[in-house]
Amino acid sequence: MKKHRFERWLQNIDRTEDEEISCSECFDLVSHFVEVELTGQDAAAKMPGLKQHLDQCAACREEYETLRDLQILENKGELPSADDLQDKL
Amino acid sequence: MSTTRTNQEWLHDLNANGAPQEAAIADLRELLLRAALYFFSRNVGDFRGMDREEITQRAEDCAQDALMAVLDHLSDFRGDSKFTTWAYKFAINTAMMAARRERWKGVSLDELASDESHFFDWILQDRSDGSAPEQSAIQAEIQRIIRDVIEQDLTENQRRVVFLMVFNEVPMDEVVRHLGTNRNAIYKMLHDARRKIKSGLQSRGFEVAETLALFGTSR
Repeated sequence: MKKHRFERWLQNIDRTEDEEISCSECFDLVSHFVEVELTGQDAAAKMPGLKQHLDQCAACREEYETLRDLQILENKGELPSADDLQDKL
Repeated sequence: MSTTRTNQEWLHDLNANGAPQEAAIADLRELLLRAALYFFSRNVGDFRGMDREEITQRAEDCAQDALMAVLDHLSDFRGDSKFTTWAYKFAINTAMMAARRERWKGVSLDELASDESHFFDWILQDRSDGSAPEQSAIQAEIQRIIRDVIEQDLTENQRRVVFLMVFNEVPMDEVVRHLGTNRNAIYKMLHDARRKIKSGLQSRGFEVAETLALFGTSR
């Protein structure tokens, strides 16, 4: 185990709460979180439980980051076509 | 295709009959395909050894699965985001599972779960990083406590999940698949493990925040 990863895990342990939302709850809420964030509001302050889960759960965090980036592209009218995306594979 | 439907229009068309519904489903499927391809394009490394055509076919499969999931859950959409944002997450979720399955195929998770050396080797070796002797001694003590908690306080399942995900960086969805469970159950095991380790450190006089400073981690 690399030291930086151990340190990251210690951070996760430090930030452990007695009650944390589940991955299913995160999945239900994450699209709203992205919507709030992309309208310039403080999504973490409005939905602290979800933010805490995203900090702890790498899988949900990656889904969130992908969803956010995809939505940013769509909002800008820059969503790549399927052909363009296939070219990147 | 149209990506400019309002939320109401998406719901109306998807719940309609005939041509409007068919058009909406085709448009939605196209968007879900792009979401799956977008995830794959960010994680091409998960598909080593596969050509573009094969990867695209996986994306098509993911889009189809996601389409079914979206249609099944249509009544759950609360309108608190754009409809497409809500729909994309199904495609991204499906794509992530497919990508990780491909990346980890052929790896024995049973062997990884039983191999404790990844963690304990680090405990034994990582002492000479320039830390003062006293600090190194405290670091070693903290590591020993964590090891004790892992060995004595965690359940077998909690210990297995910690070894797989924390020490071997196995993705959540592969652990889910390996153990035949779901993300919620795995997250709960990790959460309980974190709580026990935090409590174990505190009961021995260590606050985790202080230990972070000892390991050079700023909060």
